[in-house]
Amino acid sequence: MGKKVFLGIDVGSVTTKCALMDDNMQLIAHRYIPTSGKPIIQIQSLMREISSEIPTGCEIGGAGTTGSARYLAGEIVAADVIKNEITAHAVAATHFYPDVRTILEIGGQDSKIIIIRNGVVTDFGMNTVCAAGTGSFLDHQALRLGISINEFAREAMKSKNPVRIAGRCTVFAESDMIHKQQMGHSTPDILYGLCQALVRNYINNVGLGKTIEKPIIFQGGVAFNQAIVRAFEEELQTEIMVPKHHEIMGAIGAAIIAWENYNATGKKTHFKGFEISDINYETSSFTCQGCPNQCEIAQLKRGDKVMARWGGRCEKWEYISNTKESPEDAAVTG
Amino acid sequence: MRITFPHIGNVYIAVKAMLDPLGVDYVVPPKCNKRTLSLATKYSPEGVCIPFKLNLGNMIEAVELGADHILNVTGHGTCRMGYYFKVQEQILRDMGYDVKMMLTGLSENKLRGFLNLLRTVSNNAPWRKILSSFAFGISKMTALDDMEILANNMRAFEKNKGTITPIYRKSIQAIDDAADYRSLKRAVKEYGEKMSSVDVLEGHKPLKILVVGEIYVVLDPYANMDVEMELGKLGVVTNRSLYLSRWIKKGLFFNPLGIDQWRDVHKAAMPYLKRDIGGDGWETVGEKVISTGRYDGMVHLAPFTCMPEGSAQCIMPSTKEDLPVLAIYCDEQTSKAGMITRLEAFTDMISMKKAAVLSR
Repeated sequence: MGKKVFLGIDVGSVTTKCALMDDNMQLIAHRYIPTSGKPIIQIQSLMREISSEIPTGCEIGGAGTTGSARYLAGEIVAADVIKNEITAHAVAATHFYPDVRTILEIGGQDSKIIIIRNGVVTDFGMNTVCAAGTGSFLDHQALRLGISINEFAREAMKSKNPVRIAGRCTVFAESDMIHKQQMGHSTPDILYGLCQALVRNYINNVGLGKTIEKPIIFQGGVAFNQAIVRAFEEELQTEIMVPKHHEIMGAIGAAIIAWENYNATGKKTHFKGFEISDINYETSSFTCQGCPNQCEIAQLKRGDKVMARWGGRCEKWEYISNTKESPEDAAVTG
Repeated sequence: MRITFPHIGNVYIAVKAMLDPLGVDYVVPPKCNKRTLSLATKYSPEGVCIPFKLNLGNMIEAVELGADHILNVTGHGTCRMGYYFKVQEQILRDMGYDVKMMLTGLSENKLRGFLNLLRTVSNNAPWRKILSSFAFGISKMTALDDMEILANNMRAFEKNKGTITPIYRKSIQAIDDAADYRSLKRAVKEYGEKMSSVDVLEGHKPLKILVVGEIYVVLDPYANMDVEMELGKLGVVTNRSLYLSRWIKKGLFFNPLGIDQWRDVHKAAMPYLKRDIGGDGWETVGEKVISTGRYDGMVHLAPFTCMPEGSAQCIMPSTKEDLPVLAIYCDEQTSKAGMITRLEAFTDMISMKKAAVLSR
C-alpha cells in the first residue's frame, strides 16, 4: 500500500479552495477558484484538477470539508469529516504558528476573529447581521470606482491623506464614499479611507470584548489586500503576519482534521471524490406543506437516489432513512 | 367577548388549560410561521425587538379569527416590554381592529391580579372554580416543562438521530389534549417512558450547556431557531436558567414572604452588576457566575436591539469566573446556517479546551 495523502476542501460563498497534504502535513498542491454560484460543478472540476497532483504511489487517506457549503461538499465527495470553518481556520493557523494568540480572518461574506491561548481556541467572534468589511463589499466598491480588485491595494497604498469614511454599515460607507468622491478627493485617499473604515468596523464589531494580543495572523482572501494589512497594523499598532497560503487556510485546516481523524481511528477513507467528476448531480427544492412554516427544503439527488436534504426547521426531511413519505405526497415540487 | 393570547413557546397550552374549565370563548393564534413574521415586521416599528414583533404577529392573526380581547404579558420592569401593550393596541387600532388589552401586570398586581383577570374573563365564576382551573394550568405547565427537560437531555444520547424530537412533539400534543388530571398523568407517563427507552449511544459523555437570556427568546423555539434542539443534535445536553412552571411555583412561595426569588443569582452578580438593568440582564450575569464549574458553557440568547441583554453581554467578559459564553442574537432571520456554524465552533472549542486541560 502506498503513502497516504490528505485532502481538504473549503467551499465558501465566493471562492472554492482545496489543499492536498502529505502525511507529514506538508502542502503538496492547492487550488483556488471562484464558486460562481455553482458549488457542485466547481467541486467536480476541482477534483479533476487535484487528482492529477497526487504523487505516484500515493493514495488518499482521508478527506475533510469546511466552509458554508461543507455539508453539500461532504455529501458529494463522501468526506470523512465535516467541520465548521472556525475550527478549520484555528487548526491550520496553530499548525503553522504554534504560538499564535489572535487570528483575524476575512472572507467573501463573513469575517471572524479567533482568540487562541496555549494552542487552544478560547473565544471567537463572527460578524452578525452586517456584511460591512467583507470581501464582497470591497469587490463591489472597486467595481463602482472602475478599478479591478487587484489594483485596489496598489492604488490605496499611494494614499497620503486618507479621508474618513463611516464604516458602521455598507450603506453609510457607500454614501460617504460617493460624497467624498464628488467633493474631489483622490481615489487613493478614498480607497485607503475605506480600508481604515473596514478595519475600525471589524475591531468594534467582530472584535467586541476580545483581547487582541500578539502574535496576530491575518488570513482569508482579503489578506491579499496589502492596504487592509497596513490599516490593521496602524490601528492595532503592531505587526500582523500573513501566512503564505492565507487564502486556503480553511482547506488546509480541513485536511489536517482529516489526518487527525485518520490517526485517531485508523479507518479507511470513504472518499470517492475522484469518481464523481462525470456524475450528474441534481439539486432541487420543494416547499414542505406539513405546517404553516412552509420551509423550503433543498435536496441533492444522484440519479434517482436522494442523497441529502437541508433547510427544514424541524427534523421531518433531514434524516433520509427516517423519511417515510416522499416529498410529492406532502409538498409541491418546485 | 372572544379572548386571545400570544404563544410564547408552550405557555399558550397552560393558558388554554386555565380557560377551558371556565367556559371562556377564546381563539389560539396559528403557530408562529412565516406569515406571522411578515405581518409582524410590516406593522411593527423597525428597531423594536423580536418578542414585540412575534407577539404582535400572533395578535393580528388571532384578531383575524375574531378575537377582540387580548391577554397581554405586562409588568413595569425596567425593560420597554412593560409598555409594549399600549403600542400594540394603537397599532391594531390603526389597522382598524377595535381590541381591548387585558393586562396581566405581573410585577405590580402579582398573583392576585392574574386571578382577578381570570375572574373577569370568566364572567365572575366562583373563586373555587378559578383556583382549580389555575392549578390545572400550572400542572400542565409543569408537565410541559418536564417533557422539554427530558427531551433536551435525551436528545444528546439518541443513537438514531431524530428519534426524540417526534416523540417530544407528540407528548406536547397529548398534554394539550388532556382534559383532566388522569389523562395528563397518563400522557406524561407514556411519553416519558417512550423517551427514556430509545436506543442510546453507549459511553457518550456529553457537554453540558446552560441556555440563558431574555425570557421570551429563551422560552420560544421559533424565536431562538430551536437552539436547544440544534445543540442536542450535536450531542450536547442543555438546561435552562428559566422554566416557567418553576418560576411561578418559586414566585408563589417566595413573593408573599417578601423574598427575592432570584436572590442566589442576584447575589452572584453583585461584584459585576449591582442592580436590575431591565429584562433579564442581571440574572444573565449572575447565571454565568454560579454556573462556572457546573456547566461546560453557556449560550446567551438576546433579542437584537435589546439593551439589558446587550449590557450583560458586555459585562460578562470581565468576570473572573471563566465560563465560555456564546452570544446569539435573535431577530427576523429564519436561516439556521449561521447559528449552526457558531454552535459547532462553540462545542468544538469547549471539547478541545477540556482535552487540553486533561492532557496537561
